[in-house]
This record gives sequence, structure tokens and C-alpha cells, in this order.
Amino acid sequence: MSSVQADKQTEEPLDLIRYQLDETVLVKLRGAREMKGKLQGYDSHCNMVLSDAKEYIYNETGEPIVKDCEMVFIRGDSVILISPIS
Amino acid sequence: MSEDKVKTGPSVFLSEILGQQVKVKLNNGVTYLGNLNSIDGYMNIVMDSTSEHVNGEDFVKTYGDVFIRGNNVLYISQV
Amino acid sequence: MLFFSFFKTLVDQEVVVELKNDIEIKGVLKSVDQYLNLKLDNISCTNETKYPHLTSVKNLFIRGSTVRYVRINPNAVDCTLLQDASRREAMQAAK
Repeated sequence: MSSVQADKQTEEPLDLIRYQLDETVLVKLRGAREMKGKLQGYDSHCNMVLSDAKEYIYNETGEPIVKDCEMVFIRGDSVILISPIS
Repeated sequence: MSEDKVKTGPSVFLSEILGQQVKVKLNNGVTYLGNLNSIDGYMNIVMDSTSEHVNGEDFVKTYGDVFIRGNNVLYISQV
Repeated sequence: MLFFSFFKTLVDQEVVVELKNDIEIKGVLKSVDQYLNLKLDNISCTNETKYPHLTSVKNLFIRGSTVRYVRINPNAVDCTLLQDASRREAMQAAK
């Protein structure tokens, strides 16, 4: 790991996720899915727990399917991208 | 001759482009243009002022900060 | 190790596991290991009409890598504890 960035002063990418704890995030997932929810936990694999989450499943025909979930664990290997929602 | 040259390689490139404008292409074909904030050995990437492009140049969506999980990265290029 | 410990606190709770092949299984979490493989008891398929081949199965071992989501009872989760544990794990990883 340190081969790329040995300097500990500089920020690591995972720090961005840490700053989002207790904040609402957008998670883009494999299989044309997105999940919005409040970040309650994560680890280095991008396994995550979101609360008050909304899942959006996109298909060719216009409107996405929306599913609500109060508390959900997402396995990190499905994660493509994580972004804070302002 | 080659001894006074500092080490080269992918890691040098990656640290040189920190803070610069980059294009990141993912395995699924989507590209992201933005300002590179940080990167680690898994190729996890954080960018800001990012725009998402799906079919080549078609502009789709903008993000403030984004974290991209390294396993999805096909390449990173300086723009 | 964080989510291994997290799932251990959820043992005996009812969870819904959604797999990457879209099958959804509801059941009581009986055990978990470091790969987040799961053992469920008293299972039922929430979308049984679509996937009828698990109707006679009572309990199940799920390989962790096939899991997409696990839906959890929100009352079973201490959010502040989980947030703090995440920060602590991040600190440890940085060392």
C-alpha cells in the first residue's frame, strides 16, 4: 500500500468515507443500482451499513424502481462509487 | 548514468498527478473527469469537481467529492 | 473484522439476505464467520413465485461472496457504537 503514498500526512481515499459517517451518501452499485442513506458504518472493503436507505434500481424503461429500507448492510464488492449528498 | 535518476514507475506517476485534472475510466465503460485528491495502493481514488460521462463524451452528472473503489478502475490519465 | 463482530451481535435476529442473483431469503441469523458467510434458520423466500426452488429448505448456509445486501431490524443496531467502531478501525488501519 505504502508504495503509492508513504507519506502519512496526506489523505487516504478512505478518509473521505470516514468524514461521511452520520451523513447522507449516494452509493453507486453494480447491477444498475444506487442506494442513498445515512452512513452508519464502513470498513476498508467498502462494506457499509446505511440507515433510512432508498434503493434505486434502474432499467431501460424510464423510471427506476425505488425500495425503502430502514437499515441495510451492503457488501463492499458491489460498490462502484461513494459520494456525499449535500 | 541511471543512478542519479530518481526512481520511476507507476507510483511516481500517481504521486505526480495528485491535485491535477485527471480522467478515470472504469471497467463498466463510464469515465470520470475531475481533480485528483488522493489515491491508495488499491487504486481507490478520491476526486472533486467530478463529471460523469457514459458514452464517450456525453455529459451525464456532476458530483462534489467522489470515492471510487479501486477494483473498478481501468485507467487513470492526466488531462 | 468490524462487520464480523457486527453480525455476531445480530445472531438470533431475523434478517433478509438479498443475493447477487436477486434471490431474497428471510431467516433467523444463526452464525457468521470472518468471510461473512452466514447460516440462517427457519428460512423463507420473500420472492418465492419467482424462485420456487427453496420452498422445502429449512436452514441454509450462504457463502458471503454471493451476498448483495442484508436488511436488518433497525432496533437491533446501536448506530453510535457502529460509527465509533468504524472510526476506531480506520485509525488502526492507518497505523
